[in-house]
Amino acid sequence: MNRLAKKIVPHVILAIFSLVILMPLIWILRVSLTDKLTAYKIPPEIGTLGLMNYIGIFEQYPFVSWFTNSFIVATASTMIALPLATAMAYAFARLNTGGALLRLGVLASQMLPPIILVLPLFGVFLLVGLTQSRIALIVAHLTISLPFLSWMLVSFFEGDMARLEEAARVDGATRWQAFFYVAVPVAAPGILAAGLLGFILSWNEFLFVLVLSGPGTQTLPVGLASLETHAGVEIAPLAAATVVSLLPVFALLPFLRKHLIKGLSLGALK
Amino acid sequence: MSRSLSMEAADRRFGWLMSAPGLALLLAVVLFPVFWALFTSVHEFTLIAPNFDTFTGVDNYVTAISDPAFRHSLWLTAFFVFAVVLIEFAIGFLVALMLNSVERFKPIYYGILLCPLLMNPVIVGLIWRMFLHPSLGIVNYLLTVIGFEPVNWLGSTKIAIWTIIMVDIWHQVSFMIVLLLAGLSALPREPYEAARVDGASVFQSFFYITLPLMMPVIIVTLLIRMIFAVKTYDLIYIMTRGGPGVATDLVSYAIYRTAFVSLNIGEASAMSAILLAFILLLTGYLYRYMRTLT
Repeated sequence: MNRLAKKIVPHVILAIFSLVILMPLIWILRVSLTDKLTAYKIPPEIGTLGLMNYIGIFEQYPFVSWFTNSFIVATASTMIALPLATAMAYAFARLNTGGALLRLGVLASQMLPPIILVLPLFGVFLLVGLTQSRIALIVAHLTISLPFLSWMLVSFFEGDMARLEEAARVDGATRWQAFFYVAVPVAAPGILAAGLLGFILSWNEFLFVLVLSGPGTQTLPVGLASLETHAGVEIAPLAAATVVSLLPVFALLPFLRKHLIKGLSLGALK
Repeated sequence: MSRSLSMEAADRRFGWLMSAPGLALLLAVVLFPVFWALFTSVHEFTLIAPNFDTFTGVDNYVTAISDPAFRHSLWLTAFFVFAVVLIEFAIGFLVALMLNSVERFKPIYYGILLCPLLMNPVIVGLIWRMFLHPSLGIVNYLLTVIGFEPVNWLGSTKIAIWTIIMVDIWHQVSFMIVLLLAGLSALPREPYEAARVDGASVFQSFFYITLPLMMPVIIVTLLIRMIFAVKTYDLIYIMTRGGPGVATDLVSYAIYRTAFVSLNIGEASAMSAILLAFILLLTGYLYRYMRTLT
């Protein structure tokens, strides 16, 4: 009896927990497939299911523009940050550049609440006339991706890899060659995964875009937030938009699952 | 000897050369704005006349600290952070322990719990607003079905903050689970076998083996989660805008309101500086504990 309970209890707890997490997501999927009136019915009715909301959001709202802006901003900020962060992380890990103080500085930059940065950035962009531009958004997202990537990539350059590089150096490779032709290729899978995580951080960012974007440069999160005020609470299209905006992130999941823990724990755990 | 010294110097030079571009950009986009905020906090600065002509010393700080709304937002944030971190830790540790003890269905459970973690807080806020709508929401409907009174989830000053806490738990509890599980699965097996031979109960081996061994992982996980909870903004903006009244006015939102609604840039900068001090303190602790971990 006791042994049986020991086997079943964990599954009961895990199943209840999984249901609590899953039910809202299934419900959103259901609402996104119903027509606008059925979506409001209390008690709920199944009604006719279809893809009309998915078509509707593309016709009624600048969904394509939000999607494109999100993609451009996230790609550009990650592409700028990734090489710079890789070189910096390498120097931190292998040559201990700047010591503990600089590392602490990078960690602290990553932990800064965006609300502290957004006001000065808004002031600066106002002065140079760049508010509402995509450039402002890309620069703002660099404040997130650059410290995150620099901090995370350090752990990828620590450990056994040093020996490979030493071998290359003995064979006459310069420091740069050892970095570029040995360290980077070996760490490439990690660098790629970190890049994808950086992309997701930017994809999900809200406050910077809320303050710094204009009518043509809004990204998905800000667009979705405005959807609600646009047309009262139109829950059926909102649910469809929610599902669509989740797709890219879930599509990336298999590629970064191995490095997810490292990303979430800021490199502290594997 | 002199050769290895010059090698060392060349190494150092190479290190700085490699980090220079990244550091320069980091200084420009992070450190410069932080200094701008600190500088603004001791000047009279308005969006209409954006200049630093009038030095005001600690005036903005005095205004901020003597503002009951700001003090309220600080206390509320402290309460919110402790509530979400403690509850998420309790649930998270329980689920992590259960996950660590099962083999079958583990990938399914794990896959499900990853879902909220990848979701954007804006989306989480929007869907829960939908569910928690007082008359059209599914949650109140289900409550009435099982015989309870409907609840005014976001409209009541007493309940709203707990609603935000619940939604945050739904969204972020997986963070705790994933990290604690990573810690648990890395624990050595031997102490548990020795304990079993000695006839220790499940609870004894939890309190005398698991907990002490997990301490560094627990501290790092709690600190990271705390810092992120202090930053909570999106959920408040989407679900309540700090309301009803100031019932959910967390500090990030209070600063936003002061800057972009009241257009009180000086005071908002002083509030930012105070928040910055708290964050740096927590980050310092985190850095220390992270070093013990690796």
